[in-house]
Amino acid sequence: MEATGVVTRVGSSVRVSRGEGIQLAVIAALLVFVLVGLPQLLSLFWIDTSTSAVVYAVAALGVGLLVGRVGMVSLGQVAVLALGAWVGAKFCLSTSLPYPIVLLMSGLITMVLGVLIGLPALRVSGLYLALVTLMLAGAITVVLTVTNFPNGGKGFLGYDENYPGTIRRPSIATSDPAFFRYSVIVAVVMFALVVWHLRSKPGRAWAAIRQSEPAALTAGVNVTLYKMWAFALASFVTGVAGGLLGSGAGKLYTFQFPTSQSVILFAVVLMGGIYTVWGAVLAGVLLWVLPALFTIWGIDSQLPTILFGIGVLQVLTTAPAGIAYQFPRDMAKLGKLLYRLVRRFTPSASGAS
Amino acid sequence: MIEIKNLTVHFGGVIPLDDLSLTFESGTCGLIGPNGAGKTTFFNVLSGFVSPTSGSVTAYGDDLLSMAHYRRARWGLRRTFQTEQAIEELSIYENVAMIHEHSSSSRSTRRTDVLGAIDFVGLEPNPNSKVMTLGARDRRLVEIARAVVGKPRVVLLDEPAAGLPDEETEHLGSVIQAIPGHMGALVILVDHDMSLVSACCAKTAVLDFGALIASGPTAEVLRDERVMRAYLGTEAV
Amino acid sequence: MPSWSSFQPFIPIGLALGGVYALSGVGMVVLYRATGVLNLAYGAIGAMGAMISWSMINNAGVPQGWAYVVAILTGGFLTLLYGTIFGSVLAARDPLVKAVATLGFALILLGVMTLLWSNSNITRSITFSTDESTAFTLSAVSVSWTQVLAFAFGLLVAVGATIFLRVTKIGTAMRALADDREITATLGVPVRRVEAAAWFGSGLIAGISGLLLADLDTLDPSTLTFLVIFTVAAALIARLRSITLTFVAAVVIGLVDNLVTPINSITNYRDMTPFVLAIIALLFFARGRQYSFARGGIR
Repeated sequence: MEATGVVTRVGSSVRVSRGEGIQLAVIAALLVFVLVGLPQLLSLFWIDTSTSAVVYAVAALGVGLLVGRVGMVSLGQVAVLALGAWVGAKFCLSTSLPYPIVLLMSGLITMVLGVLIGLPALRVSGLYLALVTLMLAGAITVVLTVTNFPNGGKGFLGYDENYPGTIRRPSIATSDPAFFRYSVIVAVVMFALVVWHLRSKPGRAWAAIRQSEPAALTAGVNVTLYKMWAFALASFVTGVAGGLLGSGAGKLYTFQFPTSQSVILFAVVLMGGIYTVWGAVLAGVLLWVLPALFTIWGIDSQLPTILFGIGVLQVLTTAPAGIAYQFPRDMAKLGKLLYRLVRRFTPSASGAS
Repeated sequence: MIEIKNLTVHFGGVIPLDDLSLTFESGTCGLIGPNGAGKTTFFNVLSGFVSPTSGSVTAYGDDLLSMAHYRRARWGLRRTFQTEQAIEELSIYENVAMIHEHSSSSRSTRRTDVLGAIDFVGLEPNPNSKVMTLGARDRRLVEIARAVVGKPRVVLLDEPAAGLPDEETEHLGSVIQAIPGHMGALVILVDHDMSLVSACCAKTAVLDFGALIASGPTAEVLRDERVMRAYLGTEAV
Repeated sequence: MPSWSSFQPFIPIGLALGGVYALSGVGMVVLYRATGVLNLAYGAIGAMGAMISWSMINNAGVPQGWAYVVAILTGGFLTLLYGTIFGSVLAARDPLVKAVATLGFALILLGVMTLLWSNSNITRSITFSTDESTAFTLSAVSVSWTQVLAFAFGLLVAVGATIFLRVTKIGTAMRALADDREITATLGVPVRRVEAAAWFGSGLIAGISGLLLADLDTLDPSTLTFLVIFTVAAALIARLRSITLTFVAAVVIGLVDNLVTPINSITNYRDMTPFVLAIIALLFFARGRQYSFARGGIR
């Protein structure tokens, strides 16, 4: 049986077709550029911005996974990010565990918390689930204003008003450009983890759940279990991303994680596209690069918020699958249109006008 | 063999199933009745989406109602729906494989089983094609393939011929007829297409207003006066 | 546990705010019943109206009364604008999609407000002439006329809306719309016009509640936008259906939120109250996962 552009399983190995091979090559080339070339080209301001974009791209991946794959709208993922950041900061300051372990712990603990909180939320669906996530995010944000983030102080909460402690970075990547590279690699690992899920049994189960829960149940899919799995995976990657945030900034403040940010995160994920993994990358860029550009060009800092609001409305009314889905199709349509125009205006061999 | 005893369902003031008792023995059995007779509700009880107020369903000696809905698939219950439920964004292979991987069948035979099911229903397109590229006929066949892969014990087909032209219905009929022999499963077929039902089913049961009004060899049942009255609603036939 | 007397001062404000939450809650529920849209931009719309009237009073010297009328009308027209453009486009979509769309609208409004009134050095406030005048005194706690008005408004609108929906033609049409938009249209009911009335009416209510909240709480776009959560909590407890329940729930929410203030052990977490209440409402009252078994299969 020949493969026509999709993965074919032969025994236990996985053969990748030509189309996908080209995609992988492009991604590899892009990765090399981002890791090697980009840090040399960018100023410190842009390196910091890009690091944030990378971290939030992973958070966007979590949101996209939930919305696009399982049909669960989470309007509270920035609160999950904050949880991950809290755990990461705590481990960095209170322990001397190797950095990868710190990130792993951020991911795992956030995952456990996410599942615990998500469990009762699973009883509701659709609009009510979205609202529950929004409310939970609000509640967590309030708790954070009271507890603050660890900054080297004593006790479990580790917060000291006067302590100027800094959250450490991995020993191999202490400079900003180096940390940027480190973040990119971590992000790639997270993306690979999610893509691996999507290509195998859980991904298929999620596709079934998104299309029709009763049909999925009939197919033998334990819907509750797989929803929890999606929650767990999204929380895990977001937790890891949160861990990176603390080290990136060195210090964490509650005002960096307002509830409105969760709504905006959802907005950019919607705009970037919830059905493709590239949409998450686009979302991270929208969230950080766009406002940075505006700041440099002297455009008001509120404009991004307004644009994101417009973006949400636009996506919901016209392109429900988001820009990353729509853009290649729009480009293809544009390409065809141009082709036809060119044909029209170049004299053909037969002399027809 | 499936035994249904005194199955009753109350649904917000309506009684879709009223003390229903019937037995499906083996092979392909038909289940017909006018609209609203309770056929889909019956399937929904078997699938686990509707809890009956009373009654029991025993299949091959197992109490079906005590199992959680997603476990019934593992037990061997399969079902198709009136609307297409094949997952569009996945390929034919993935659609059928999904059923297999959530059933009790072992991983080692997955590839052969899945390709075998796809072959059995007569699907021509490449198994790697995404379902969204397929037409209505092929999508129906994908659903049937999903229903027969692995080791199904009971296959519920809910109006599989709905919306299909006659030639396709014929092919469908031959596939359905072959299921019990090939897969060893009991098939219950609900459809309004009487020629399909006659062709496939040796025995047929008829529901009306949630109760059984006739059951027996298909040809006899279709000639039964009570059945005709139920469909046509007239006294003198 | 603080004594009764420390709780006392918070009762009038609790009831007053509860009255306003009830007011906007009724508006929200009526709109949802008529259009299926849970308007999460409600707070932002009210805030916009309040900010505009503040601008008129302080920068243009417009008399208070007129400025407030403008605020209320702004609420009505903004909501109507949204409803006309996006209400019909999204009419056939899931309530989730409709609600998320209103979130988009809220983001736009919030951005515009912060843009226009970004100078946070200025303390802005709206004060009604009734703020200082005491209506009555209840064991050393004075209750202002504004507070009485707020509660009265909430009660009035709740009762009025119930009567309106039962008795008037438009009201009955709205109830029919809630049941089935398609069938109502075939019955010859001017669906678009009835929906427009629902949008405009709920918008007027948003304008009124925006003003009241600006007076009773603070005039800050962000705060006012997020106060909508109290309203949403009340509406959810009422399962987005019963107006009476919305009123009761809103008043209770207002009371609970304010009565928590003197309890020192949890007062820092006071801001959590609306979220916690909303979560309780969602998990216990608003359950409704249903598989549809209508002909045509599932969902």
